[in-house]
Amino acid sequence: MASYPFIFVVLAIIAYGIAFRVYGKWYDRTVWKPDPKRTTPAHMYMDGVEYFPVSKYVLWGYQFKSIAALGPILGPFVALSFGWLPALIWIILGNFFIGWLQDYGAIMVSVRNEGRSFGPISYELTGPKGRNTLLGFLLFYMIIISAVFIYLIATFWNIFPTTFVATLGIFATGILAGRLLYKYRINVVRVTILALALIVVSIFLGRLLPIPSNFLGSWTIAFWAVVVCGILFAGSILPMPVFIQPVNYVSFFPTYLAIILILIGALLSPITNISLVQAAFKGFYPDPNVGPLWPILFVAIACGAISGWHSLVGSSTTSKQLDIETDAHPVGAGSMLSEGLLALASVACYMVLTNDEMKVAAAAAGGVRNIGSWVYGAVKLTSAYFGGGEAVRNFLTTYFGVVLVIYALTVQALVTRFWRLISAEVFGQNILGQKYPATFVGLLIPWIFAITGSWINLWLYFGGANQLLAGLAIMLITIHLARVKSPSIYTLIPATFMIVTTLAALLWEIYDFTRAVLGYLGIEEFAKFGLKVAGPLAKPSPDAPYPYPTISVLLNSVFILVGVMLFLLGLRMAYYTYKAYFRFKAEPTPAMARESA
Amino acid sequence: MFWKKKDKEKEQEKEQGSEKTSFKKAAKGVLYGMASHGHVMSALRTRMYLEHLFMFITLGDMLGIPVLPPYYSLRILPYAVPNIKSWKMRVFRERDFTDAIF
Repeated sequence: MASYPFIFVVLAIIAYGIAFRVYGKWYDRTVWKPDPKRTTPAHMYMDGVEYFPVSKYVLWGYQFKSIAALGPILGPFVALSFGWLPALIWIILGNFFIGWLQDYGAIMVSVRNEGRSFGPISYELTGPKGRNTLLGFLLFYMIIISAVFIYLIATFWNIFPTTFVATLGIFATGILAGRLLYKYRINVVRVTILALALIVVSIFLGRLLPIPSNFLGSWTIAFWAVVVCGILFAGSILPMPVFIQPVNYVSFFPTYLAIILILIGALLSPITNISLVQAAFKGFYPDPNVGPLWPILFVAIACGAISGWHSLVGSSTTSKQLDIETDAHPVGAGSMLSEGLLALASVACYMVLTNDEMKVAAAAAGGVRNIGSWVYGAVKLTSAYFGGGEAVRNFLTTYFGVVLVIYALTVQALVTRFWRLISAEVFGQNILGQKYPATFVGLLIPWIFAITGSWINLWLYFGGANQLLAGLAIMLITIHLARVKSPSIYTLIPATFMIVTTLAALLWEIYDFTRAVLGYLGIEEFAKFGLKVAGPLAKPSPDAPYPYPTISVLLNSVFILVGVMLFLLGLRMAYYTYKAYFRFKAEPTPAMARESA
Repeated sequence: MFWKKKDKEKEQEKEQGSEKTSFKKAAKGVLYGMASHGHVMSALRTRMYLEHLFMFITLGDMLGIPVLPPYYSLRILPYAVPNIKSWKMRVFRERDFTDAIF
């Protein structure tokens, strides 16, 4: 039984049950002491637009939908370089002691501060410099996320040739659904049923009209990345009800059905006889291109154990709609622990593939390590209980491939839009703050980064920035707790661990890109570590290994600069948060102040 | 006593019924939250911005921005008055880039 993915899911349910019921309740009683009678911002400032009370079930669904994306699905792929056991332990323990504390704490801090989001809270707790540093950090964070996702979407279209037409079909379905809902005011149930039928048709169409793989040679990914940027540009500049809203709505159904199917597949694995076949532990430093277990593992799984993105979601929207304070625990902690379950199901998808199957998956991707392995694992887990025929497997391959693409595209559309809004804030009346130039720049830089093909390093930058944001968010929570004289040690230790680990991971990545630059420059001892560019910038023939050495060196140098900026901004933000923490910690309690008076 | 037994059974049935109802309510809530809540909020925000525009056009004259001649502003005023309180609250609210994520 221990060798089946079933055990992953059961272990997670038990561990997360204890985290929610035992540790969570104790922590609640000790630290936050939520009071159902205290008026929440949703009631205090009710305006029916941003502030209004919503049931905990609705908020849980909303919070989970907003936080569960590609992070817990693709992050374990990089983490599995160390074997599945470290990934399993980090997802369970990370979530148990850190992840849910951050999500829950972010909501509670915002609720106790009139529903304000992290920008104003960081301004209040750490001053204008802290807030501006956070803003600068977020700008780099956005560029890195965009580069990673643009690369991944382009790669998925190339690896799974049947997914491109299917993706276009689903997007067209979304736009049509939006027109029917908002323009012609047709009943939402009817529109949903029609959309679901059209999604199935789109997947069949994708199978009928596959696009050829690698049709432009090493420029194929760059070409698909342009197509991705075109879609994202439209998504960013068109009104929300025309594009992003309806596309997200119709995409919800296939993407979340996929999660349910995989979880069922994992739970039925002892019956379908699909066991774990990958190695449990491969060493502390098994692959020089990935890095050492500490700190890389902790940033590779970018969302399954903890994620800074969640704190932004929790404090910007969820906290403004919390009906009563006691709802924050099931909403914040519950949704994070559920995401841990999704991460473990994703780990299972990779671990059921044999080495031969991994090789087949890699061959489909042109012989490189295949990030699309998740699809093959998901098909293996689920096709067994659907009958396992060739036709079923083919349909499921397209389906899970489309799910990956849609996850990435829908999240990235929001990120691109968010970039535009941040640009307006940062650049003001400058041309870079305007709608079209800001979107263009916000896609051009990530496109250039994406076509270098250094996606594992970019993923680790993204993970590093994301987890560092999480560490800083927990520090803001800790500062608030110190200010109101509640126990802050339970968040201070996780925050310090996350900040130190993520800064170390960023330093490692800077070192990795520096090695690559030195390798390009012909220093023998660094050449063995491998070079960080692929695709059109990598070797087209053995005679000319680096056709564009100057561009390659320049790009790797830019990556060093990006890493240095992320590191310095993170360090600066950490300095302000610790400074504020010790300042508030040193302040006397009201009782002490009265006594001394 | 048979009538007491009946009452107990009735109570149990009622409890089971309410459990079913609450489960259905929870499932519906979760589905709505996942699929539609974000879009509903987005639609509300779009309406909010349009309302802001409407209020600025209508009351612009009083704020020193003469968008409409006072004659038309006064004609539209009855439609604007009920919204003044919530409009004022929203306009004066502290907003930040981290509010604009969703």
